[in-house]
Amino acid sequence: MILSPLLLLGPIAAAPAAPVQGDLFVIKAPRVELGDGEVMEHAVILVEDGEIVTMGQDLPIERGIPVIELEEGQVVMPGLVNPYSRVGMTGGGYNDSRPQVMASAELYPSAAYEAFLENGVTTVGQYPAGQGIPGQAVAIRPEGDTAGEMVVEDGVYLKIVMRNNSSAKRNLRDGFKKADDHLKKVEKEREKFDKAQAKAKSDKKSKSKSKATFVPPPADPRVQPFFDLREGKLRALVSIRNAASYEHLVDAIGDEEFDWSLRIPLTRDIDVFHVADKVGERGCFVLMEPLITLVPGTLRQRNLPAEFERAGANLVLLPRTDTKAGFESFLEDVGVMIGAGLDRKAAVRAITHNPATFMGLGDRLGSLSEGKRANLLIFSGDPFQPDTKLDAVMLDGKFVSGDMDQ
Amino acid sequence: MHLRTNQQRRTSRPTWLLMAASLFLAPAVMANVTLDDDPAEEAEVEEDKEEILALVGGEIHTGLGGVLRDATLLVREGKIAAFGYDVDVPEDAEVVDVSGLRIYPGLIAVGSFGLFGSSGNLDDSVDPYNQNMTLALAAGITTAVDGNSVAKLKRGHVDGLVVSSSAFESLSYSNGNPQGQLKVENDLKGAADYIRAYRAWEQEKKSNKEAKEPSKKGVDQKALRILRGEIRPRFNADERTDLLEIAQLAQRFGFRPIINGCREGWTVADELGRAGATAIVTPRTRRPKDESLLREGGSSIENASTLYKHGVNVVVVPASRGISLGGIVGQDLLHLPVEAGFAIRGGLPELAGLRSITIEAARVLGVDYRIGSIELGKDADLIVTDGDLLHYQTFVQWAIVDGEIVYDKQAEMFFAHIRPRPETALAPAERMDSGEEAPADAPEVEPAEDAGEEPVIEEPVIEESGGEEPEANEDPEESEDPEESENTEQTAGSSGA
Repeated sequence: MILSPLLLLGPIAAAPAAPVQGDLFVIKAPRVELGDGEVMEHAVILVEDGEIVTMGQDLPIERGIPVIELEEGQVVMPGLVNPYSRVGMTGGGYNDSRPQVMASAELYPSAAYEAFLENGVTTVGQYPAGQGIPGQAVAIRPEGDTAGEMVVEDGVYLKIVMRNNSSAKRNLRDGFKKADDHLKKVEKEREKFDKAQAKAKSDKKSKSKSKATFVPPPADPRVQPFFDLREGKLRALVSIRNAASYEHLVDAIGDEEFDWSLRIPLTRDIDVFHVADKVGERGCFVLMEPLITLVPGTLRQRNLPAEFERAGANLVLLPRTDTKAGFESFLEDVGVMIGAGLDRKAAVRAITHNPATFMGLGDRLGSLSEGKRANLLIFSGDPFQPDTKLDAVMLDGKFVSGDMDQ
Repeated sequence: MHLRTNQQRRTSRPTWLLMAASLFLAPAVMANVTLDDDPAEEAEVEEDKEEILALVGGEIHTGLGGVLRDATLLVREGKIAAFGYDVDVPEDAEVVDVSGLRIYPGLIAVGSFGLFGSSGNLDDSVDPYNQNMTLALAAGITTAVDGNSVAKLKRGHVDGLVVSSSAFESLSYSNGNPQGQLKVENDLKGAADYIRAYRAWEQEKKSNKEAKEPSKKGVDQKALRILRGEIRPRFNADERTDLLEIAQLAQRFGFRPIINGCREGWTVADELGRAGATAIVTPRTRRPKDESLLREGGSSIENASTLYKHGVNVVVVPASRGISLGGIVGQDLLHLPVEAGFAIRGGLPELAGLRSITIEAARVLGVDYRIGSIELGKDADLIVTDGDLLHYQTFVQWAIVDGEIVYDKQAEMFFAHIRPRPETALAPAERMDSGEEAPADAPEVEPAEDAGEEPVIEEPVIEESGGEEPEANEDPEESEDPEESENTEQTAGSSGA
């Protein structure tokens, strides 16, 4: 069982005389997928104000607290996290470097977002459209009347498109080069400032405190994201087309060090198995669809998600299309991959904990334990079986979809 | 045939096998060979180690005429560091046992398309995993001209491919375009005059400080470079009259032409020889002579051999410069050595046939200082074959570029099933690690490998595979003619499979 500092809240909630509050309730579930691959049986989940405050096996439940008792066979799972979607967004993009663009600017609540909740997706990463370096993604909850209500966190990753050509490589190299240029500029300004200070001091020793602190010139908004990358404030998601673009990516990055992960679309046959070991060694996140692909030009099937997972990559699975239809068949598609050799625990991680961690939200959501948001799904059975029904979807402690009532 | 290879390059460690190999081989002779002798720690620091590859027991064909049987070739940092009989193999080397196999310099295709999966700036756009590159490596090609770049087929790498970015300097000089001919002549003449004037000035300025340097104005730079011998121009010409005129032009101005095509070269071979030409020919070209003319003409299978006999250096290319699995099958880059084989069929000496796709090709591209033959210090671009390279039955078993194995026949889907290498055709035994990790087993493994080096094969897998005495294959040394033994081995192997 996972302990967290927030466990302190436990005793309060379970205190004998605690009055029953409106937002306090308990879910008794025969089986809970925790999201990190583990399973808890006979779990009791205490939720307060949309957050899991206590969770454990067969915990005693204080009288008076409303209990949602699930039937035998029902399974609880963390809400799905889809870190890579443009559903609900309409804007077009460019083919150049615009790392300062924020996808959140495009965000607007609409009925399109219902498709997420209906299919159990409680957290979404939305990225800006375009090639080159189109900008930064935003993590949202697909519920809310205003864009502000929807945003969970802005600037969760910088999308970069890598292709086998010089312009894609130049976009990346130039970004860091401009950052270096800016640093040089700052350095020059500082020297100038220091000289001026020294001069001022020698000129009139009495009033030298007029302008003591150096204010560096502000960085171009296009340059700032590259500083953020270097400093670890921002992570990059690089979309590659094939094994070759991975090599070109590594070549373009050179000695630069920053946190980058890979988006590898499996919507067509692709030869990325050549670099599976290298990617696995890096241990970065790899976003791909739950699809069996063919070795290009052949009829040899490969389970690339399973291969990358086995090689050591942190797998993140995405719906096979970024549409309602893709969301609807998502869990079934993942089930097919499990049948084809993908580790089941890894598959659960790949749709909950891993995508949340990839977006830097792993301490808040994506798994079920104390302190996490009460984003959870209730299934009629094993989530990956095709005849299983999604009975209810809870977002921040409230049922937002499904047949169940609180 | 008796092969062993350490499969995992990245985690190459000293195994009993290579200990055995180093014990077996006599001490180092090469002065430049230095040993890193801290075997205890190398499991930890192997990342920092230079990569050493040793091909042990093969028949080395240098491509310049030398053949060393049962020799060892050592590669360090991508260069050929040593080869011969008394080569010391360092303990941390990756050892590939190539006994019974042949080592040749990697082949060079002086024209290609589609091998790099891209065009333009190769460093930024190459697809180093594309299928055509693998297939070309399977044909033995390790370097090819793409566009006007000479680039290596470095599978899995996007940097360090380009050897030269100016493969050829083309010049058009054809009967069909008299004006163009006139311009080329005038340019050359202008350049020749300038050079003469410049030399005169160089002499004169020793005595006369006032002497004026001749003006470069109006002098064609390309013509100047040609006449200074900095570049060799390439002409596309097939017909006798064009060839003759190019030969005469070359002799008049004193440069050595490269002639692409050269179909009727055999009719004017002596002139071309005198002009110091190099011909890029396709031996399987078929074109009847123009019957309206009295003179000799048309294609001839003896073209390459006739040219060669008259002193023309011959480079061979297939009719198609791509990899063709449909259409023109058999006359594409997959069959570069076969194409050279046809030149031999027409009378070209075998060595010249080998040179026509290795060192001579490197020469016309101006990259022979790095590639094209097995010589000390040259790039380790090598191929290991299971027989005579120019024999149609031969397969490339490994292709090595800059010292890295980039193609292994048994690891790729294309040809692995055809006459598979015995021990890789079946599941490889864990013999490599057992020696290290299970000391109890070690004494058994070690002396066997040590003493036997060449013939002892104790893995049961082999016995399974044969079903019919693999021992018959074990002694290639006993037969007189290595080529013969090679072929009999092949046949035995294939009938067994």
